[in-house]
Amino acid sequence: MTSINKRRNHLSEAQAAWVLLLPFLAVYGAFLVYPFFRGIWISLHDWNLLAVAFNPDAREFVGVRNYERIMWGRNIEWAALAHPTLQILGIAGVGISVFLRWTNRASRATAIALGLASVLLFVLPGFHPGEGGRWYDRRFWPTVGNTITFVGLTVPGVTISALVLAAALNRETRAMSVLRTLFFLSQVLSVTVVTLIWQIMFSPRQGLIANLTELFGGSPIVWLTDESFAMAAIVITTIWWSLGIAMILFLAGLQDISKDLYEAGALDNATGLRAFWHITLPNLKRTVTVVVVLQIILHFQVFGQSHLMTNGGPNDTTQVLVRYIYQTAFRDSELGRASAMAVFLFVIMGSFSILQFILGREDD
Amino acid sequence: MKQIVIGAAMVAATVTGATAQEVTLGRFFGACEDAGTDTTTSVGEACIIQSIINAASEQIDGVTVNTLPTDWGNYYDQIKAAYAGGTPPDIHVLHRSALAEFAGLGALADLTDDLEAAGIDPNDWADAARDAVTVDGRIMAVPMDFHANLWHVNMDLMEQAGLVDDNGEPILPTSPEELLQQAQMVHDATGQDYLAADFAQFPIGVRLVLSLMWQQGENIFTEDGTATIDTEAARNAITAITQLFDAGLANPQLNYADSQQAFLNGEAAILVNGTWVVDLYDSEAADPDVALSNYYVADFPTLFDEGATWADSHMWAIPASVQRDDPETYQAALQVLAFINDHNIDWARTGHMSVRNSVLSSDAYAALPHRSEYAGTAEIARDTPPSERYGAIQDVLNREFQAIWLTDKPIGDALGDAELDVQDLLDR
Repeated sequence: MTSINKRRNHLSEAQAAWVLLLPFLAVYGAFLVYPFFRGIWISLHDWNLLAVAFNPDAREFVGVRNYERIMWGRNIEWAALAHPTLQILGIAGVGISVFLRWTNRASRATAIALGLASVLLFVLPGFHPGEGGRWYDRRFWPTVGNTITFVGLTVPGVTISALVLAAALNRETRAMSVLRTLFFLSQVLSVTVVTLIWQIMFSPRQGLIANLTELFGGSPIVWLTDESFAMAAIVITTIWWSLGIAMILFLAGLQDISKDLYEAGALDNATGLRAFWHITLPNLKRTVTVVVVLQIILHFQVFGQSHLMTNGGPNDTTQVLVRYIYQTAFRDSELGRASAMAVFLFVIMGSFSILQFILGREDD
Repeated sequence: MKQIVIGAAMVAATVTGATAQEVTLGRFFGACEDAGTDTTTSVGEACIIQSIINAASEQIDGVTVNTLPTDWGNYYDQIKAAYAGGTPPDIHVLHRSALAEFAGLGALADLTDDLEAAGIDPNDWADAARDAVTVDGRIMAVPMDFHANLWHVNMDLMEQAGLVDDNGEPILPTSPEELLQQAQMVHDATGQDYLAADFAQFPIGVRLVLSLMWQQGENIFTEDGTATIDTEAARNAITAITQLFDAGLANPQLNYADSQQAFLNGEAAILVNGTWVVDLYDSEAADPDVALSNYYVADFPTLFDEGATWADSHMWAIPASVQRDDPETYQAALQVLAFINDHNIDWARTGHMSVRNSVLSSDAYAALPHRSEYAGTAEIARDTPPSERYGAIQDVLNREFQAIWLTDKPIGDALGDAELDVQDLLDR
């Protein structure tokens, strides 16, 4: 590095930029761009992890068959009301986005995004196996559904609790700064530690929660093996774990809001909850968007909580996409198929990144 | 584990450049802090195996053994990833059920011609043990044990329910109807559950159902790869167990640790678990603070036509790449295998069944705690036909069986789905 600095006068700005960017580009290219395209390449093959390791010719190009095998089935049909709840919700979503755009309450990009999501919600659940048909991979779509449920519960959970905490802790006292640190602390723990702590918390024998339930005369819930509580258990764990970053982002956003606004609001009798609703929230809109989109992208990649706490069970109710990818690749050695699922996950996360990009530009 | 790794790393660092040959070793069985090198007093699978490994590292001239940190639950994923990356450990443990997959790929060294020179006598191995490590007539691993599911019994609870005979042995059921009857007797007399097992996490429940299917002469798939799960035999096997759940005489929601704790706390008369915990429960029962005090081990009872219990075998293998590319490490690895083979009696202290005839016939082996109580287990040991998809198939069964007892999925639906999924796996 020092030798570069000494010669800096001899380099043009563009050259210097390239020199400085080079280490990053090399690492980025080697560890992100190359593996990404390699992943897509592998997903087009019948590729056994171990067999190919011992014999590089053991792979076979199969085109999009892996995608077909995970996402499609025999005799798949489409009907407008195969899954009424979701599909009616989809139609309603389309209506709402048209209405919002019509009455100018939502920007064009927001309306399009909401509209697109609603159309997908209407179209996708309509596919189902017809007479004598079945999905090639019975577990894939339910796993996608579980992942979406997980994200759908975790993201609002994290966002709302982080927002409430941030608003409560946004004061310049020592106690508050201690509390802020405490609430952030869970974030620095690794997933193994977090899941260990919560496995003990949820244990029906020695767990804190079970002890509390028994104290109030209830019989303890077997959280991790009960169909109706297992997902809740890993959602609670995740909210506790990932509260910190969201809270810090909200605190930063809160400190950007001018005190004048609150003073002006106070003159109009807007204090406490009212001030929060009419002053704080509208000013935090941007931060909320960032937090929500970041959390969505982050939590689609959930793995450890499901893998370590519930093993995806009971009856696959907490099986999530990354765990399925992991099992397919390493337990079953089917790297091609696993890569196809990974590409699917990438498309989902990629679309949310694009959404964030659009929403971010809009605010400018 | 951390200390072992750091210790091993330090040892490795100090001897680098000297004559010592480092052998890396991958194993499951869990972590044991401070296992020491005394192979005769350690307790529990993790500590016994680690004490043997530590002793090997200390006693074999010019060889140090570095135990790699691995996690039990993800062991095979780690090992496969290591093979795929070209850096497998020089020695690693595996199950007989996994041998088909690894050997089939040519991943493992053929040890047949090198065993005698290393001081390992394959003729001393029990026939079943030699069969277990043999693929296409070649010996691909060194067997360490047979392990099987047993019934671990709390004799105090059985006594209270009047289920102990004149010889002081537990009276166990001989049919599904008797199972329910005796379970009710225990419950009426003690208020406790009759049977506990991990029905919610590891595939112990699967092994239970499999045993009951084998007892009816049926299996989950045929040698030629046809899944046969949606059958009358499977229905009978599952109902034999679910009748206990339905009557409130067993709790399906306990995982491995919780079911073990329930048994040690005296909350269940029977625990279905493997041979690997006999010495552990024996030492727990001696502890006055533990509710379980009168501990007995029984063979898996025959509820249907013929005796059968789930069994598998632990064995040690060396990667083919080590044999081919690194003769010094290969020789050192063979010495470590020989050391482990020599200490088969120490490993048998866990409760596992020995694989060596000389050990099986020894007085020391017969004198191991509770050994005579489950002498019949070797006779009834069974497993599924070999399959490269063994792990995935067990997962399918575990998922669907759990769906039956944890989420009330109708038995027919679960068996139908399991059959489709297993057939898919067999066809791939």
